[in-house]
Formats: sequence, structure tokens, C-alpha cells
Amino acid sequence: MPLMKHVIVSGGSKGLGLGIVKSLLQNGYHVSTCSRTKTNAMTELEDIYSCFQWFPCQIGDAQQTADFVKSACEWAQDVPLWAVINNAGVAKEGVLASFPNLESDDLLQVNLNGALYLAREVLRVFLRQNSAGRIVNISSIIGTRGYTGLAAYSASKAGLDGLTRALARENGRRNITVNSIAPGYLDTEMSSTLSDNKRQQIIRRTPMHRLGSVDDITPAVTFLLSDGAAFITGQTITIDGGITN
Amino acid sequence: MSNILQFIVDETRQILLQKGETVTDITLETEFLTDLPMDSLDLATLIVSLEMHTGLDPFRSGFKTFYNVGQLVELYESIEN
Repeated sequence: MPLMKHVIVSGGSKGLGLGIVKSLLQNGYHVSTCSRTKTNAMTELEDIYSCFQWFPCQIGDAQQTADFVKSACEWAQDVPLWAVINNAGVAKEGVLASFPNLESDDLLQVNLNGALYLAREVLRVFLRQNSAGRIVNISSIIGTRGYTGLAAYSASKAGLDGLTRALARENGRRNITVNSIAPGYLDTEMSSTLSDNKRQQIIRRTPMHRLGSVDDITPAVTFLLSDGAAFITGQTITIDGGITN
Repeated sequence: MSNILQFIVDETRQILLQKGETVTDITLETEFLTDLPMDSLDLATLIVSLEMHTGLDPFRSGFKTFYNVGQLVELYESIEN
């Protein structure tokens, strides 16, 4: 029995975002997601679930984001918007001294401004609905710990945690909670560029002696959307196998 | 009373009613955040409703300062005309 709750996930066509989409669908939510291009996984999920819809959208583009939220809410019809998962992100590697400004601008536009634009549109829907709601920002331990060659990425994720704390204060009185989930090093497409040496180093330094998986993260997302998480806001939940311990 | 003014007055009353507040007198001189039991999120709710009602967003190009009902009416009427 599907829940009468609609959740928007940005960047749900692959990697962690796809895992989040699948997990939410399995938990009965109506789910809409967006990405620049439609993957086979999106078509397959649309075929299986009538309560799932993919939309094209370049996160980081304010107008496209507004159009996406409008279309997604129209698609969901009388199922009210309950939550947004700000997951879309890009990672580009290189020491800052030789990192092109254009590349860092693009990265910050997607990872930080994109999340901010999407949160803005969703908050406007919550206000219109006069409803409670949930915002979950997918940040990263890199935002608090830093990582060589990932200065712009690190800055974007630290910014996301700041956005989380500010929005939690701003919207708490409307029963809208805002939290971050900070994964550690995951075994996804995004980490596939890590050299074998770096990968082994991370595994050695992780108390759980492995990289994380998408399945390590998705339960925290569904928990933050549940009734049990109604009084949790402004927090960053770290899921990293203990590496930042 | 202009359409915009009527909408602002009705919507403001509705927003306040949802908070359990009843306000009888709203005039062009009424200041939202000082004369009414409204907070900034209530004001944001009003702006979102106005955008839905009019299809206009006077804040698209940046911050515009307004304090009272009359100044908000003027912002919308200046775009409409």
C-alpha cells in the first residue's frame, strides 16, 4: 500500500541517489527524481512502480529546478510533498593551485547552489501546503575533514552542512526538519576514480575495514523521513565505518 | 478596493487564522511584522500565495523593501501596469 507521501530526490539516476530512490519506493513513498539524462534504471523503475517518475533537470539551474518541482508536484497530484533529498552532486579532483576556476564554479553551482535552489522551491511548496516536511542534504565527511585534491568539493559539502543548520533554525517552527547525512568513502561510481593505493589506504584506516555501500546509507534516509525522527533537526549524521572517529 | 489589496487582506487573515489569531482591522498602513502577529515565515507564505494568485514575482530581480500593506500592493501593481 503506497504511502500518501511524495519525496523528491535530486540526482536519483545512479549511485547513491538511485539507491535512495529504490529504498524509498520499497518503503511505499511516491518518488520523483531528476538528472540530466535518463538512465536505463529510471525507465525500469517507471515500468515497475506507478508511484515513480523521472524528470530531466540540470541541478544548479534555478529555472530548471523550479520547473522540475512544479512538474513533480503536478505529477504527484493529491499526494502532498513530504520531503526532498538533496543528493545531486559532482566530484572533480585536482589540487586547487592548478584547478580551473570554471571547474570549481561548476562544482559549487551543482553541489551547493543546486541544493539551495531545490530547498527553496520545496520550502515554498511546504508553505503553500501549510504542512510539515523533511529536508535531507547528502553531504560528506570530506566537508568536515577535507581531502587532498578535493578543495572545491570539500567546500561545497561544508556549505551544505551550514545550509542544513540555518534552514533547521529558520523552519523548525513549521515542523520542517532539516538534516545532513555525511557518508564516508562509498564504493560507488564517484569513488571509482580513486587509485588502488588510496582505496587500500582508506580501507586500512577505517575501523570497519571496508568502503561503505549504498545500503549502509539508505536506512538513515528513511529514518529521517519517519515519524520517529520528528524532533531531530539541524544535525549531521556521519556514516563512515568509523574513519573520522 | 483593488484585487491585489483584497487578496492580501484575505490571505493575511487566513494565515493568521491558521495560527489561531483573529485580526479585524487591516489597512494600507498596517505593518506586517509590527502591527500584526506575523513572523517572517508567515510573510513568506503570503508572498508565495501572491505569486500563485497573480503569476507575478516582484522579487525575482532582487530584494525589495516593504513594511506595510500599501507598499506591498504597490510592488505588485507596478509590475501589473
